[in-house]
Amino acid sequence: MTKEERLKKRHNSEKRFRFYGLASIFVALLFVLILVNNIFSKGSSAFMKTAINVEVFFDPELLEVKNGSTLDEIQEADFYDVTIETILKSYPAKNLDEENELIDLFTTDAEIEIKNAFIKNNNLVGKKINLEITASDDIDQLHKGNYPRDLPEDRRRISNFQLKIYDNFVADDKIIKNFNNYFFSNGDSRNPELAGIGGALVGSFYSILICLLLSFPVAVLASIYLEEFAPKNKITDFIEININNLAAVPSIVYGLLALQILLATIQLPRSTPLVAGITLALMTLPRIIIPCRASLKAVPPSIREGALAVGASKFQSVFHHVVPLALPGTLSGTIIGLAQALGETAPLILIGMVAFVVDIPATPIDPSASLPVQVYLWSESAERGFVEKTSATIMMLLSFLIVMNFVAVYLRQKFEKRWN
Amino acid sequence: MSDIKIKSKNLNVYYGDKQALFDVNLDLNEKEVTALIGPSGCGKSTFIRCINRMNDVIDICKVEGNIEIDGIEINDKELDVVSLRERVGMVFQKPNPFPKSIYDNISYGPKIHGKGETKNELDEIVERSLKKAALWEEVKDRLDEPGTGLSGGQQQRLCIARAISVNPEVILMDEPCSALDPIATAKIEELIDELKKTYTIVIVTHSMAQAVRVSQKTGFFHLGKLIEVGLTEKIFKNPDNKMTQDYITGRFG
Repeated sequence: MTKEERLKKRHNSEKRFRFYGLASIFVALLFVLILVNNIFSKGSSAFMKTAINVEVFFDPELLEVKNGSTLDEIQEADFYDVTIETILKSYPAKNLDEENELIDLFTTDAEIEIKNAFIKNNNLVGKKINLEITASDDIDQLHKGNYPRDLPEDRRRISNFQLKIYDNFVADDKIIKNFNNYFFSNGDSRNPELAGIGGALVGSFYSILICLLLSFPVAVLASIYLEEFAPKNKITDFIEININNLAAVPSIVYGLLALQILLATIQLPRSTPLVAGITLALMTLPRIIIPCRASLKAVPPSIREGALAVGASKFQSVFHHVVPLALPGTLSGTIIGLAQALGETAPLILIGMVAFVVDIPATPIDPSASLPVQVYLWSESAERGFVEKTSATIMMLLSFLIVMNFVAVYLRQKFEKRWN
Repeated sequence: MSDIKIKSKNLNVYYGDKQALFDVNLDLNEKEVTALIGPSGCGKSTFIRCINRMNDVIDICKVEGNIEIDGIEINDKELDVVSLRERVGMVFQKPNPFPKSIYDNISYGPKIHGKGETKNELDEIVERSLKKAALWEEVKDRLDEPGTGLSGGQQQRLCIARAISVNPEVILMDEPCSALDPIATAKIEELIDELKKTYTIVIVTHSMAQAVRVSQKTGFFHLGKLIEVGLTEKIFKNPDNKMTQDYITGRFG
């Protein structure tokens, strides 16, 4: 082989390598694009809800309250008759079946929405107002174009009569798209139009908070001790191997552990953020210790020697010099550990967070949902409305993860100091 | 002849199974510069790290024998290394300023030893130390800038200033100029000349010329043994030992 040939071969192999690299990046980006596109196209419609504009008449004869009733009296009162009257007036129905079909176009919470409107505006007795009442899930999906209307009637959830009413409402401009506040403020519900991630958000927040409070101090102190103070011998080697192994243990194993110890033995309340937080902390602990030790190890020994040489004690050299330098890496490691914990599903299913919880938890010891488990629950539900809700919840979860990772990168770049 | 400041007797040092120093007996005079020369790995650095017990940091290192400073044994488990290192400062081969401001680099030592209670006292110590290290004029207007932003020679002088900020009696220098250019080296050497009026200085160096320029006394180490020690002039002009002769004339090392 001549020199020219060899040179050409070297250049060619470099070109090939560049091409493989570019191709890999392209394939990876393609997968991300498909995933994001799929989630966005399904999920973005969940942030809007369909409402029907109706005229509500607060008929003094049907209402059990009058102007000047106290809030408690209004809360206790029955708005059912007014609600039914309002709905029936919105479209002429000929018989009881048609009336029921008409009523089914509205959410089951129509009565509560009317009551809330009454509470918000004073002195409505005997008055008429226009109100936007949330539509039922079927109408919501139909209006968003997710529901096929060309199926035969017996295979549709929406009858021909209901379709006629819907078309009529559309023609009269009575169907409106509003921001879906229920998605953020409500807990879970059997009715997709009322279901929200409020409970899951608060539950996840409490869980991660407890996870942070438990795992961060323990992980940081353990890392500092192991890295700076512990003698290097067989026992510490054994501990190190164990920590590395624990980080690789499947998360469901931590769920089983929590089930046995926290729920069965200690009898903490099940389905609660408290138990979730403790379980996630156990799981996150080794995942924080590893980056934390790595960032301590990355501080050059010359800094420690410099401090010791001016007469700092071991403790002072560690806490005045090494730890501050390792802090950015420690913090970003912690945040990434927490981000993993936020998306963890399996252990939470085992400790009972998969239960159907409607209420938003007030404290960490109330039963609660959490974001990833909510995704799991809704993805199993049959109603069409939950498909978009599932994707929208994934979008929320992903945006939290992206924000957390961004903060981690920012912290590292902002506070990382350069040495020699 | 000056008084003896540091006295080592039968000093043996082991790193695990490997013995690094063999029965070193060496006296260092007060307010003098003693240079330690010898090929790499001969134990010079190990020896000076015994004087401020920096070898304690290394788990596998074991030190046997005696070192006395002013007649007091320092190789004693009961002795507080913090107060020892306050008396025996050290400057390392590679400048290692803390990644903090110039001011904080100097004021850290006095602060942890409770010297300089007030801001004024600290300011004074910082100024005095930087002046002694011949760095004051160059940095007085940017004391709050990071010490790591200085040039290599300035960083090393900053480290010297840091060492003298706690007002030690002895300064150990472990090849302080090996990472510096000739101009910066000349400045450090000038500085050493000045500092020896106040401090006892031990300097490890690979440069024979440097040993001649700065030291009054020179010790030659080889394979962990102190081969010869004496007045610098004598060692370099008329050594007793054949090995010393070979080393200084560049036949090995």
